[in-house]
Amino acid sequence: MRYSTKTQLLTGSAIVAAGFLFSPHAIAQDVTVAFSASELGATAYNPVAASNLNTATSLIYDRLVEQDADQSYHPHLATAWEETPDGMAWTFTLLDGVTFHDDTPFNAAAVQTWIASYAGTENEYLVEAIASVDVVDDLTVRFNMERPEPNLLYNLASAFMGVPSPTAYAELGEDFGVTAAVGTGPYELQSFEIGLETVLVRNEDYTWGSDLSENTGPGHIETFTFREIPDQSTAFLELRTGGIDLLLGVPTDFLAILEAEANIQIIQMPGTGISYMPINVTAPPFDDILVRQATGMAIDQDSIVAAVYGGVGAPARNFLISSLPEANVNPDLNVRYDPAKAGELLDEAGWAMGDDGVRVKDGKQLSVDLFTANSTEFTRLTQVVQAQLAEIGMEATITVFDSSTIRDEYRRNAHQLAVRAYDWNNSDILDWFFSGNRVGYPNVSMWEDEEGQRLNDIAMTESATAAERVANFTAYHEYVLSQHLFVPIYQPTQNIAFNGEAISVPDPVRGSRFRGQSFMDIQVTE
Amino acid sequence: MILRYTFQRLLMLIPVSFSISVVIFMIVYLLPGDPIDNLLRVGSSAEDRAELVARYGLDRSLVVQYFVWIGNMFQGEFGQAIVLRRPVADLIAQNLPYSLTLGGLAFLFSSTVGMALGTVSAIVRHPVLDRFMRGFILLGSTVPGFWLALLLILLFSVNLGWFPVSGAGGWQSLVLPVLTIGFGGVALVARVTRVALLDAQREDFVTLLHAKGLSSGTILFRHLMPHALLPVVTILALRIGWILGGAVTVEFVFGRPGLGSLLIRALGQRDYPVVQACLLMLALAVMLGTLIGDVAQASMDPRIREKKS
Repeated sequence: MRYSTKTQLLTGSAIVAAGFLFSPHAIAQDVTVAFSASELGATAYNPVAASNLNTATSLIYDRLVEQDADQSYHPHLATAWEETPDGMAWTFTLLDGVTFHDDTPFNAAAVQTWIASYAGTENEYLVEAIASVDVVDDLTVRFNMERPEPNLLYNLASAFMGVPSPTAYAELGEDFGVTAAVGTGPYELQSFEIGLETVLVRNEDYTWGSDLSENTGPGHIETFTFREIPDQSTAFLELRTGGIDLLLGVPTDFLAILEAEANIQIIQMPGTGISYMPINVTAPPFDDILVRQATGMAIDQDSIVAAVYGGVGAPARNFLISSLPEANVNPDLNVRYDPAKAGELLDEAGWAMGDDGVRVKDGKQLSVDLFTANSTEFTRLTQVVQAQLAEIGMEATITVFDSSTIRDEYRRNAHQLAVRAYDWNNSDILDWFFSGNRVGYPNVSMWEDEEGQRLNDIAMTESATAAERVANFTAYHEYVLSQHLFVPIYQPTQNIAFNGEAISVPDPVRGSRFRGQSFMDIQVTE
Repeated sequence: MILRYTFQRLLMLIPVSFSISVVIFMIVYLLPGDPIDNLLRVGSSAEDRAELVARYGLDRSLVVQYFVWIGNMFQGEFGQAIVLRRPVADLIAQNLPYSLTLGGLAFLFSSTVGMALGTVSAIVRHPVLDRFMRGFILLGSTVPGFWLALLLILLFSVNLGWFPVSGAGGWQSLVLPVLTIGFGGVALVARVTRVALLDAQREDFVTLLHAKGLSSGTILFRHLMPHALLPVVTILALRIGWILGGAVTVEFVFGRPGLGSLLIRALGQRDYPVVQACLLMLALAVMLGTLIGDVAQASMDPRIREKKS
């Protein structure tokens, strides 16, 4: 009995001692993060050659410029830049005193080698407008352009334009980004197991954070462990039990459950895409513009935001996210719910309301196909859209495909309506989805139009400056809206959840996405 | 004799492997969609697409593509993943150890515990135990893996805090996934063992052994078990294929890498070289399992090798 008591006492003391050893103060500087479902499966931290990069990339590599939530550009490795009036040359002044993780210097020669390394890769499109790079002096570099590229800053702020060490890049070849990843960023790659986890350790020499972070360096946290957890339920349980501290990309469906947890806090930031319903203009009855216009007026975006998304996010009124200047179109062209007007338009188009609530023309019912891809969120949204279309007398039959198969269906011109989404915070998305050169997919609306293509070409290739580009894309956007090629539905938010008892996270978040600049300001809760 | 039988069975694998390779190759190409869509970016033109199609040799005829592929396979060259942009061999090498560890442990768990439970339930004829076993077997055969996984996480990780919720660090992270996968296997093996033993107990030679005065233990382990093991070995051999690819949902829920997860991801992106290599490996594992099962059966029962050879 005495022995047993002693053992219990010893065990108890050991547990208490271990408790102190592993108290928040002892493990305080390690933060574990789960990637969002959309960024799982990266196979290399190689901005030049990879097809898929995750958030950890933005901590290993810095970019020349950064983009804020309002889509404005901010200096980072480039402290200033100047574009010639004809747009044929850009001069960048580089930040002094920056070194890569391998202690080689970041300078004009490094930028020249880095830009050249895109040649022949599938990410070459990012720099294809750059004809050559001149080293003006150690900290000044000039890009000579093939053609004006007012979108250059957008490309430079992309995760795919993080600057790697030219020395390490040449030495490691195909293994760059897998066995080692060397940039100038606030964290260095310690280990990377594809599909499992990435461990980053603080770059103690880092003092060159951008003005999007309060802390310009070194980072507050010693180690960030990024984990790949494909199942959202598991990720939520990890957050709840303290297995992870931060969960990126929380689906809107999960917000209510997470909010009910005492230790979990949520940050919402504006999204970078919209959900919408493209209309196939070649498939009757949608070859009639009146039917297309009526279809747009049948969708009640406000009630969808409230009912499907619990009031989180915003209704979409046109094709671009609200923070882009090209989204400020003539308000009359924005798509709004008006079932009465929709009814009138269908009457005018010859579709009379039948006894069974489905409209009829020439003995044919207004029955259409409504395609979507197989995800819970899409399926739910599509069902609501189906119900709203029924209100104006349009009977829609839903078919669900996997994401690869549905693209083949678009190319076969087998569709009429579809519910889908995109994620892209630049107005050139209009060219991607509406250019006559890509009919089928991505131009799901199957729209070929002479005037449309003319406006597209002007916006894409004839804008010399950023201001001109905004004006040209706005004109193209307005023309696209006037043709009723799609129905905008919803602008989602980006949701981040974290354990408020373990860490503090900057709010509001600067930057277009929650990445490097926000991680610099994460701190352990005292 | 057994060597000759094994050699014959190995020879038979050659035409089977060839047929399987054709089927795998064709199935992947018959699927709608292609990997190139996953490589295109906002701004890519039709010419970019054509260039990518040519770069990966997807513009060549299917026959040419097949022979290039099978030729590379013979040289152990799995090629380069189109979307994942890594050598396929590297991707498989990274995922295989996780699958082998999880699948192997689950196999061991289900075979040992399953046989033990099946034997106990066949020997101890108690109505309560009998009902419990039947209930357990029914549950084990019908409970979906992902649901059981979440249930185990809730109980052992969230409420009791004994094991981590997910991940692949250390033995602790293996316990719940092994239990989840093993549960179905335990039920299956237990059921087969139980039925086989009960059947064997009714044979005339058992009555004779009892009449000769042998103890129940000797009869069970020396005479009944070898007799009853034949169907159990068949079932276990067929499950060898599952070691590599049967844990997809469990890998998903527990956030573990593995061949199954790699296959599913590659399939979603139509990353042909990865899908083909993974399917081929799974098919080979199933064939190998069947071969092991056949050889084991033949070595245990001379009638089989005589009949088949």
